[in-house]
Amino acid sequence: MKRLAIGTVALLVLLLMAMLILAWESSIAQQDAPAEDTFSQRQIDRGEVIAGLGNCQSCHTVDPERPYAGGRAFPTPFGTLYATNITPHPESGIGRWSEAAFIRAMREGVARDGSHLFPAFPYTHFTRVRDEDLQALYAYTMTREPVDARAPENDLTFPFNIRLLQAGWKLLFFEPGVWQPDTEKSDAWNRGEYLAEGLAHCSACHTPRNTFGAENQDRDYDGAMVNNWYAPAMSAGNPPPVAWTESELYTYLREGASTYHGVALGSMADVVHQGLGIVDDSDIRALATYFSDVTGALPEDQTAAQASRRIADAQRESMAMRSNDTGELNRGEQLFSNGCAACHYNSADDPNVLRPELSLNSALNADNPVNLIRATLRGVSNESGIQGVLMPGFASWNNADLAALFAFLRATHTDHPAWNDLEQRIARQRSDVTTSTE
Amino acid sequence: MPTSFELNGRSVTLQVADDTPLLWGIREDAGLTGTKYGCGIGLCGSCTVLVNGRATRSCITPLSEVKNLAVTTIEGLHPSGEHPLQKAWIKTQTPQCGYCQSGQIMQAAAMLVDFPDPSDEQIDNIMSGNLCRCMAYVRIRKAIKLAAAEMRDDIASSPTAPETAAHE
Amino acid sequence: MNKLFQSLLNPEVNGVPATGDNPGSASAEGHKKRPILNRRGFLIGATGAGFTLAFYRPGLSVAQPGDVVADKTFDPTIWYQLQTDGRIIVNIAEAEMGQHVGTALARIVADELEADWSRVELNHVDSDPKWGLMVTGGSWSVWQNFMPLSRAGAAGRQVLIEEGAKLLGVSPDECRARNSEVLAGGQSISYAEIVQRGDLSRTFSESELENIPVKPAAERRLIGQEALALDVPGKTNGRAMYGIDATVENMVFARPLIPPTRYGSTIQAIDDSDAKDIDGYLQTIQLNDPTGTVPGWAAVIATSFTAANKAAERIRVDWAAGDTATVSEQDILDHSLRLIEETSQGALVVDDEGVDSAFSSADSLLTQDYIAHSVLHFQLEPVNALAFQEEGRWEIHTGNQWQSLILPVLAKALDVPESQVIMRTYMLGGGFGRRLNGDYAVPAALAAKTIGRPVKMMFTREDDVRFDSIRSPAYQRLRMAFDADGQPIGMEHHATAGWPTQVMVPAFMPAATNEVKYDPFAIQGAAHWYSVGAHRLRAISNDLANDTFRPGWLRSVGSGWVNWALESFMDEAAHHVGRDPIEFRLALLKAEGKNAGSAPNAVGGAARQANVLRRVREIANWQQTMPENTGLGVATSYGQERNMPTWTACVARVRVDRETGKVNLEKLTLVTDAGTVVHPDGARAQVEGAALWGASMALHEGTLIEDGQVQARNLNTYTPLRMRDVPEIESEFIDSTELAVGLGEPATTVVGPAIANAIFAAVGVRMRDLPIRPAAVLAALQG
Ligand code: FES
Ligand code: FES
Repeated sequence: MKRLAIGTVALLVLLLMAMLILAWESSIAQQDAPAEDTFSQRQIDRGEVIAGLGNCQSCHTVDPERPYAGGRAFPTPFGTLYATNITPHPESGIGRWSEAAFIRAMREGVARDGSHLFPAFPYTHFTRVRDEDLQALYAYTMTREPVDARAPENDLTFPFNIRLLQAGWKLLFFEPGVWQPDTEKSDAWNRGEYLAEGLAHCSACHTPRNTFGAENQDRDYDGAMVNNWYAPAMSAGNPPPVAWTESELYTYLREGASTYHGVALGSMADVVHQGLGIVDDSDIRALATYFSDVTGALPEDQTAAQASRRIADAQRESMAMRSNDTGELNRGEQLFSNGCAACHYNSADDPNVLRPELSLNSALNADNPVNLIRATLRGVSNESGIQGVLMPGFASWNNADLAALFAFLRATHTDHPAWNDLEQRIARQRSDVTTSTE
Repeated sequence: MPTSFELNGRSVTLQVADDTPLLWGIREDAGLTGTKYGCGIGLCGSCTVLVNGRATRSCITPLSEVKNLAVTTIEGLHPSGEHPLQKAWIKTQTPQCGYCQSGQIMQAAAMLVDFPDPSDEQIDNIMSGNLCRCMAYVRIRKAIKLAAAEMRDDIASSPTAPETAAHE
Repeated sequence: MNKLFQSLLNPEVNGVPATGDNPGSASAEGHKKRPILNRRGFLIGATGAGFTLAFYRPGLSVAQPGDVVADKTFDPTIWYQLQTDGRIIVNIAEAEMGQHVGTALARIVADELEADWSRVELNHVDSDPKWGLMVTGGSWSVWQNFMPLSRAGAAGRQVLIEEGAKLLGVSPDECRARNSEVLAGGQSISYAEIVQRGDLSRTFSESELENIPVKPAAERRLIGQEALALDVPGKTNGRAMYGIDATVENMVFARPLIPPTRYGSTIQAIDDSDAKDIDGYLQTIQLNDPTGTVPGWAAVIATSFTAANKAAERIRVDWAAGDTATVSEQDILDHSLRLIEETSQGALVVDDEGVDSAFSSADSLLTQDYIAHSVLHFQLEPVNALAFQEEGRWEIHTGNQWQSLILPVLAKALDVPESQVIMRTYMLGGGFGRRLNGDYAVPAALAAKTIGRPVKMMFTREDDVRFDSIRSPAYQRLRMAFDADGQPIGMEHHATAGWPTQVMVPAFMPAATNEVKYDPFAIQGAAHWYSVGAHRLRAISNDLANDTFRPGWLRSVGSGWVNWALESFMDEAAHHVGRDPIEFRLALLKAEGKNAGSAPNAVGGAARQANVLRRVREIANWQQTMPENTGLGVATSYGQERNMPTWTACVARVRVDRETGKVNLEKLTLVTDAGTVVHPDGARAQVEGAALWGASMALHEGTLIEDGQVQARNLNTYTPLRMRDVPEIESEFIDSTELAVGLGEPATTVVGPAIANAIFAAVGVRMRDLPIRPAAVLAALQG
């Protein structure tokens, strides 16, 4: 039903937009690949950092041996999209795009040939990026190894497969324009906002989307599902067990782990370790400054006490569960003690980032258990989370055991209501885990 | 696919399927049998090794995951078996059948990095993942405390007091 | 004759006179053919590197000790070598599974030999027929070997002194031996030099050996002194070799495919099509077992265990299940109850005159039933075996406790004479009786024979658990008749369970007073030393249990469930007549009549049991006032056999959470009188481990039979005691120079009833089902 309604509305919108002919965009002429010496090394290096900030590689790569060759699938409610090849290959890549075409794509979401791009490509954010940064990015992109690879055709359901429809979408949800500083705020804050809302397009993952797949402006950073992971809420209205501080944000973005929040997994691990890995400290700090404002951070000295209280509570409640033989939760307690505590137990007064403290962990405190389920089934590889530290997957545990464990953790280590249907959700993620190529 | 990693300080390359558990790679392919199999589901701790210094249940860790990382087994904890924990284990005559003890010692070694002066509560929480079917627990606890004291003394008395001493 | 059963079936072993009241003293056929240790002579003969000292088999002509040594036709169980370089190598046929048995045995030899302990080494022997019969179990090793080993050491010392005196040019009377040297006045000569220069060749006849004096206890220098166990260092550095570590060139790996029922399943079809593309998978074979040990089994063969494992998950076997496919724990217990109520069933192990009249004339009666549920061995190393043929002989490499039991089965399975099968024993990653039953070696041997290649068969943990020889569920009914003064005048004890000995070695079952053969191991511990008037002890085999699984000997075997019932019941009896539970027991431990005890094994009898009970009362501070919901409970035992009593008493302190029913075990206090303690630290470790096993079985373990199999499969649902569950333990040994008896098991038997009795003391509810689950305590509290 819902789907039909969406379809009908969308169709109406389509008709309206078509009539207005606003949809039409011109094609920009092809050009030969720019000569070797078109770009300075400095510009290319700068572009590499910009690409890192934008985490371009993560979306546009399937095979790490062939970076930027596209092909990665993005399941959406409207069908599956495939990232394009953005290597400078003349046929299958963007080798014949001029700088103007490139910048138009980034700023307006229009391909060289004039067709509209889908907003899975976050031009809604890239529109904020300044010219010099886009030029550097162009320089970097055009100097990559060209790869001949064609992404599979997008597999969208009607009417979403009509690209023209995107024009209407833009009219409704797209606000073009380069970022402007807020003179009330500090330089660092402004730099952070420029990066976060522009290149780094953080809210593209962390803000829930509306029926049309656009970021819901009223729910900025309220957390959202992306590629079967949950990008946790970062808004002041959805506080984690321990508020973020600027220094924790910095550590998290730099190292991929925070004592009071957990480790970066899934796409966020790519963001931290691949994307932001080469970004200057000052920019990471700027992001931390900006987000500590967005998330309503506490002063540093209060968080440690908050965390200790939290851990102590969890330990007390676990202890009570241990002596309370109420079936599943008690079994979960046993499983935790025998299977998890060796790595996850902390002293209340001194949690260790290398022993991720589950009572503080965002996966356990989220409304959706998907991150916890996935991390537990698949483990955390040496490249995710804290580099060089791995957690093995527990796929050998059956669904009932995992459900008992999670229910116990949720009940004793958080203040949130129990999750429903854990066993079924685990079963679903299990089949996804085995088929996923990620 | 071959996987290369560091095993007890030497680089090794094992030609086995990527999803082969590290445990069996170490035992069957690298030929180090000190690491034991007890449950295969991460609940007994007898297969515990160190991966980059952190205790890891090798029975549920695919070999491919330790690519380029450093794995330490009981055989590599100390060149002549005289790590303070090993000495303490002998002094307290902790092992009975001994089958769990490689895992116990490796887990304890990792614990002492994070908790150099472990309390009973800390030992209970961290070591409860290691089953000793002979129930030599009383002595395991005693041996850990003995070794911890020796290691702290060593660090305190060494002229440079290196941070890393406890990490190996 | 293996040592485990020797004394049970022949009370004269070790010079032990028949006590008559030993429930196991009836003789069984077959044992007479077998050599009995102290009916043999002793010889010393030259070998390449020195001299070998050994027992020789009866009937052998030993004109030349050297020939016998060269032939290795001597008794293997105990012998040692003096090397020219001064090393003393003691051969150990006992399996090492955590008891440090080699150290204890070697110290007995070395003490009498006056050897330098630092030069003593152990050699664990294989099962070549030349070694004779081998078994390790029943906590018997030290007890059985103590006197023979002492005499063997003393004989060696005597000869070394004789030869040393010659070399020093003095008379033997002027010499004494100390620390591997013979000393005379200011002179000395080392054993090494005597071995190099002297001629030690000797034979001692049986009676000569018998008359060799052993040292008085006061002169012992090693026995009873602290020592580091020789097997320990290898268990801290990864060098100790267990069965799972065995390898041979060209071997392949196998994982068993285990049918839905222990017996009677047959394979209809095997489909391995989904496994074919697994790298390393070779084939799946059906095992045709002429011995019936593993009916309906198949084995997955691969070049690595991982591949075998992966393939096993994908292979579909279609079995026609045997009759027991739907049997449940409750079915077995219901059947038990039926058997108990049919008075014609079972073996009357003790049947004193006047039981019935005592009950009919009693002033009051007490009757209670007790249940103990299924328990897994869960030895940490899952069972495994490596089998291959070499130079016309079959080699079986595995950790095993009773080679002599499984060797003939292996020979039959392989269709070769027994002499062509040799077992090489490795360290055991836990025994606890699981590896007395060597059934797991059979499928490995069959697989190797079928494919004509060395096969290492490894059981996953789940396989190991499904195939375990579990401790059978047991149902018992106890009754007591009291006179008007509250004195017991008669007692009945009816016990039924699956019988391991009936299933695995029926020939070892003695006949009871009513001529019915019975499994002594399934009732041991019940022939108690309390004077309770006329006593009747009836043991009944539960055939449904025997058909559904293969009952096993599990640490302390029958005593584990028998003493649970007996000591819970003694507590109830004390409360029935309004007496303090310790006072009540002490009054019954009179050491009179059949409970007076006899030399050498049971000197003092019930008086020694009373002594440990009094001592535990003292150190546990029995009279103290307890905090709310906290209580002390007591239990005592003589261990397993009246012929080898290990006097044990335990006080448990528990706190019960009234809201949840959770029992917190706070402290265990144990007192043990095991006679002479050879290796004190090893003894303490055994008691600690055994006591915690008792606690684990009482509060943490236990599973149920469901659809003909055990419900628990791995540590997700089977939850033995862990570090955090360990109570405070205070353990003490009575100082004694009486004969050394076994102590690996008795402490397991007292902890469960002590806990149940403490729960009663704490909150007034009586728990009669083992394990004690919080839900059951809660239900009892809520009435
Ligand atoms: S074998 Fe790895 S935890 Fe048990
Ligand atoms: S010493 Fe045997 S399992 Fe720990």
